[in-house]
Amino acid sequence: MTASLSVAAQAAAHYPAAPELPDILPPVRIRRGLVGFMWRHPTMALGMSILALMVCIAVFAPLFWTVDPTALALAKRTREPSAEFWFGTDAFGRDIYSRVLYGARISLLVGFAVAVLASLVGLAIGLVSGYMRALDGVIMRVMDGLMSIPPILLAITLMALTRASVQNVILAITIAEIPRVSRLVRGVVLSLREQPYVDAAIAAGTTTPMIILRHILPNTVAPLTVQATYICGSAMIIESILSFIGAGTPPIIPSWGNIMADGRTLWQVKPYIIFFPAIFLSVTVLAVNLMGDGLRDALDPRMAKRL
Amino acid sequence: MFSYILRRVLATVPVMAIVALFVFSLLYIAPGDPAAVIAGDQASPEDVEKIRRSLGLDRPFLVRFTEWTWQLLHGDLGTSMFTGLPVTELIGQRIEPTLSLMVVTLLFAVVAAVPMGVLAAWKVGSWLDRLLMALSVIGFSVPVFVVGYLLAYWFALVLDWLPVQGYTPLAKGFWPWLENLILPAIALGFVYIALIARITRATMLEVLSQDYIRTARAKGLGERSILFLHALKNAAVPIVTVIGIGVALLIGGAVVTESVFAIPGLGRLTIDAIVRRDYPLIQGIVLMFSFLYVLVNLAIDIVYMALDPRIRY
Repeated sequence: MTASLSVAAQAAAHYPAAPELPDILPPVRIRRGLVGFMWRHPTMALGMSILALMVCIAVFAPLFWTVDPTALALAKRTREPSAEFWFGTDAFGRDIYSRVLYGARISLLVGFAVAVLASLVGLAIGLVSGYMRALDGVIMRVMDGLMSIPPILLAITLMALTRASVQNVILAITIAEIPRVSRLVRGVVLSLREQPYVDAAIAAGTTTPMIILRHILPNTVAPLTVQATYICGSAMIIESILSFIGAGTPPIIPSWGNIMADGRTLWQVKPYIIFFPAIFLSVTVLAVNLMGDGLRDALDPRMAKRL
Repeated sequence: MFSYILRRVLATVPVMAIVALFVFSLLYIAPGDPAAVIAGDQASPEDVEKIRRSLGLDRPFLVRFTEWTWQLLHGDLGTSMFTGLPVTELIGQRIEPTLSLMVVTLLFAVVAAVPMGVLAAWKVGSWLDRLLMALSVIGFSVPVFVVGYLLAYWFALVLDWLPVQGYTPLAKGFWPWLENLILPAIALGFVYIALIARITRATMLEVLSQDYIRTARAKGLGERSILFLHALKNAAVPIVTVIGIGVALLIGGAVVTESVFAIPGLGRLTIDAIVRRDYPLIQGIVLMFSFLYVLVNLAIDIVYMALDPRIRY
């Protein structure tokens, strides 16, 4: 007894003792609700809050101490940013602060509209192509052809054929984005229709429309949502590019691309005309892309590790 | 091997045919009457009708498409409505600056992006990885002309290191040529670098978890040769694929970059053609760029064979 104790004492002398455990372990904090969401998905939370702010700015633009964004004041043209003109004025004396705030409307409208339209049309084409083998070859060759025209070039060409208007910009960018969406949906459908539960549904006598509706469609939602988010960001960039080179929204409408196009000739002496809309555009697209990354990580954990 | 190349080449034919059909239909449905444009404001309806018949514009769609394709196969892209010059000649005059810009951007982007992706995958989870990936998200979010103006403002106007705008032909010397292309290439390459770096990191992560990488480490191989000889070689196929797909970004971005940096290339020609509604010219440019894109990706399909001997079908 005494001998074993002394061995233990010797051991204690040689090896550092483990720190004493507290009687009660600190409770694992499970965060719920909004705080929990932000804790688990910080990038998505950041993206969503910036985007929410931009939507607020777009909707309530008249309340943010703006003036008429199209009001010309030639006597006050190209003023530097000051207390009166927060972001300065452009070559026609228009207040850039007001124009940038109203411009959020166009960019967000184009982004959301293209994301929704391209997703819906791409979903329909992808479902048909993935489930009806007879049509697959033809549809995919057409998509291959459309995809080999660089999207910005395709949108520019379509705009050259029509009148400049916000609807036409939305349509042109949507057409340019559709092939990629339908490819994605088709890929998902092709892998889903090999799943055992689809075989089981067929064996149970489920009709094809019902299989598509019940078993295929719900599984395309997650990848499609992620893709739609990225499309929203890319549509805003393409809109600004189209407007910037003069093939986008009509110059009279204050969109971020148009404001920058107005500042193009003066950029060496009055860089602020381009600077402010550029910051707003970049931050908004960044917010949308962060949301996309967050959604992707949340909806598809396998992808989170890879990319 | 030759059957693989032959099959790849043949596979591009239907794609190019669909592009041609699509681009031709665009001109066909284009608003405005080319005959009326050529005849001018003073012409009587009879004159316009005569010109239309002499141009063959009154014939049916399929006849015109066949004829147009036949001309296309002979290298004839039609005549510009505005200048009256052949479209091929106009494109030929402007192609050098655009090709120079794209080649310099491509080389610069690959040289910058691949090591970035490899480093990020090697040090996955570190601050370096996070920084590089944050930069790539920003790269996807900032439009090319914004990057262009930022670079031009700082490095040309404020610091005065490089010329602000313009282009010098390669014939006038290598450095003057390159000097004018550095800033445009960085601006144009920004989003391209983000794309390549991301895919490099993703594929490298996958390859680095393979057994043969552990074996290579176990037998005492240096990290550098593991990363760049063993891992990168096996990650090459997806990376090269994305480099090819990303050429579409370069083509679209070149139009804008040329406008920012006042480079007299195809991008400027495109914008001029759009402003003047010169449809044959637009048609020719879109066709040329699309065929270029298809051919680049065909070349990449063939490069696969060198990269991965397993590809033989």
